[in-house]
Amino acid sequence: MSAPAPPPAAVPALREPAQRVDPRARLMWIVSSVVESVVTLGIIGTVVVLTGVVELRWWMVAGVVALDLLYVAVVPHWRYLVHRWEVTETAVHTQVGWWSRERRIAPISRIQTVDYAEGPVERLFGLASVTVTTASAAGALSISGLRRDRARRLVDELTLRADAVEGDAT
Amino acid sequence: MSQPDLLAAPDDWQRLDRRMMLVYPVREVGRFIVPLLAFFVAGTATGRPWQYLTIVVPVALGVGRYLTTRYRVANGRVELRRGLVSRHVLSAPVERVRSVDLTASPVHRVLGLVTVKIGTGTASTDGDEKLDLDGLPVAQAHALRAQLLRVAAPPAPPGPLAEPVLGPDGVALPAPAPPPEPAPERVALVFSPAWLRFAPFTSAGIVIAAALVGGGSQLLGSLDLWDDLHPEQWVVAVSLWVAVVVGLVVVALASVVLSVVGYLLTNWGFRLSHGGGSWHVRRGLLTTRETSIDDERVAGVTLHQPLGLRWARGSRLGAIVTGLRTTQGDSALVPPAPRAAVEHAAATVLGTAEPVHAPLVRHGAAATRRRYLRALVPGGLLVAAAVLARALEPGVPWWVVALAVVLLALLLGLAADRARGLGHGFLAGHVVARSGSLLREREALAAGHVIGWNLRSTYFQRRQGLVTLVATTAGGDQRVEVLDVPEQLALALVARATPTLFAEVAEVAEVAAQP
Repeated sequence: MSAPAPPPAAVPALREPAQRVDPRARLMWIVSSVVESVVTLGIIGTVVVLTGVVELRWWMVAGVVALDLLYVAVVPHWRYLVHRWEVTETAVHTQVGWWSRERRIAPISRIQTVDYAEGPVERLFGLASVTVTTASAAGALSISGLRRDRARRLVDELTLRADAVEGDAT
Repeated sequence: MSQPDLLAAPDDWQRLDRRMMLVYPVREVGRFIVPLLAFFVAGTATGRPWQYLTIVVPVALGVGRYLTTRYRVANGRVELRRGLVSRHVLSAPVERVRSVDLTASPVHRVLGLVTVKIGTGTASTDGDEKLDLDGLPVAQAHALRAQLLRVAAPPAPPGPLAEPVLGPDGVALPAPAPPPEPAPERVALVFSPAWLRFAPFTSAGIVIAAALVGGGSQLLGSLDLWDDLHPEQWVVAVSLWVAVVVGLVVVALASVVLSVVGYLLTNWGFRLSHGGGSWHVRRGLLTTRETSIDDERVAGVTLHQPLGLRWARGSRLGAIVTGLRTTQGDSALVPPAPRAAVEHAAATVLGTAEPVHAPLVRHGAAATRRRYLRALVPGGLLVAAAVLARALEPGVPWWVVALAVVLLALLLGLAADRARGLGHGFLAGHVVARSGSLLREREALAAGHVIGWNLRSTYFQRRQGLVTLVATTAGGDQRVEVLDVPEQLALALVARATPTLFAEVAEVAEVAAQP
C-alpha cells in the first residue's frame, strides 16, 4: 500500500546560514514593535472608550499592556537569534521568522532581480534590506537588517553573478 | 523583401481577416446597446432619420477597427498595432511565447475564422494588453501557431542574439512556413460521452445553482416581490418539512442538469494530442477552443481528485506551465474523466508512469496527529460551547448540541482522510506531493523546473520534528507543497531532487558525491 521510508541514514542536516544580520537590527525591531503596539493599543483604546462596549477594568488594561511589553521585550531578540543569511558559491540561503520560521534556498543561477530597500525605520538605523526574487512568485528571499554598505555590496555581488548566467532563468 | 533584411519593411504588417467586418458590427451593437436604443427611440419619435445612426455607427466602428488593427511576426517579435485615436503597439519576443490558444465562437465558426490568443506569461490583466489576434482564417491561424511555437520551442539558443535564425520568418506570413514538417499528431485521449456522468460530481453545478438562487432572490428583492410572496399560504396543503425536501430536490436536480449542460458546452469533442513539439487541448461544443502548450514549458502535472470526483472514481488533469500562472492561463489538460484514463494521459504527458502510480512515502504519526488536532480543537470547542449554552440557558434547543457533534464527526472524518492523503516522493526525476481531502491533489514537478526550496515550520511543528517543504517553480501555483513532512525526509527529497544545491547548504559538503 505504501512504500517503506527510504533509508534516512545518509542525509545530513541543513547548515545554519553563516551570517547574522547587523546587531542594530534588534534595536530597529524593538522600535518598530513599540510603534506597532502603541498604534494598536491606541486604536483599541479609542474604540473601547468611545463605544463603551466593554466596561474597562484595571486588570484588562494591565493584562494587555503586560502582553505588549512581553512582545516588545522578547520577540525582537528572538527574531535576531533566528535571522541569518548566507551567499555561497552557487546559492542564497536565508532563515527568518521567530515563532514560525522559514528557511529559503535558491540557486544564484535562478535569480531574476535583486532589490535594495530602506524603509523609514531602517533609515533611522542606517540599515537596509535586500530582496532576491526568482521566477517563482513563491520564492523571493528577503534579508532585512543589513548595514547599508553591506547591503549595497551584496546587491552588487549578486547582480554581477546572476548576470553571468545565460537563459531566462525560469 | 528580396534581401534578407532584418529590419522589417513597413508592409510586413498584416490585417486581420476581411470577414471580421461582419463580426465587429454585431459586437459593437452589443457594446453600445443603450445609446443605440436611445437613438432609435429618438429617431422614431421625432421623425428625423436618427435611427439610421444605429446602423451606420456600428458598421463604421467595425470597419475602423478592421482598418486600424495590424499585426506582424518579424525580427523575432510578434507585434500587434491597433487603435486610431489612442494607439496601442504591443510587442513580445517570440521565444517568450508560452502558449497559443485558438478560440472560435459560433459566429467565427460559420465564417471559418478563429481568434488567436498568444500567451506570453505577462502579469498584466488589462484586456488591451493581451496579444489577441481576433479573426484569422483557420489555415493562417494554424500556420501562425506552428511558426510561433516552433520558434519558441528550442530553449533560447545561447546568447540573446537569436535573430538570424528567425530571419526567414520575418517575411510575410501567408506563404506557409518553409518546412511543413508533417509530424504525425499523436492522440493521447479523446472525449467519450460516458464522461458526462462525472459532471454532477464537479463543483460547477453547485456554483451555477447557487448563482441562480442568489440571482433569483436578488431579482425578487429589487422588484419588491418578496412582500407578495406568502409562503404561509403555499404551505397550507403540505407541511413545512415536505416543502423543504421538495425544494432541496428541485435545487439538486437543477444543479445536476446545469452541470451536465455546462460540461457538455465546454468539453464536447475534447481531444488531447501531441504534435509539432507541443501539446494540444481541443474542446468545446459551440465555441471551440484549442490550446497549445510548448513541450519545454510543461514543468509537471497536477492530478485533481476532489472528494466528489473521487467517489465517482474520476479525476481531472492540469498542467504546470512555466510562465503561466493558474489564475491567468488555462492550463487544464483533461476535464473530469475516468481516473484510469486521466492517469494514463498524465503518464503520457510526463513521459513516465512512475510519478502517477508509484506509492508515496508517508509522513508518519506526527503528521497524522496534527491533522486530528486541527479537527479536534475547533470541533471540540464548538461542542463544548453548545453543551455549555444548553446547560446555562434551557431555551437552547437540543439539536444545536446534536449539530455541533455531527460537525465534529465530519471534521474528524476529514482529518482521517487528509492524513491518509499525505505523501511525497522523488520518482523518475519528478518531485511528487499529495495532500488534501476535499480538494485532493497529486502534483508532479520535474526536478529541472524546481527553482528553489522553502522550509517552513512553526514552533509546534519543530517540536514534532516536522516541516512544510515547498518546491518553488515558475508555473501553475508557483509552488508544490509537501505538508508536514519529517525534516529528515524533507531533506532527503531536497538532496535527491537538487543534489548540487543541497550540497551547498548542507552540513557536510561531501554529500554531493553520493548517488
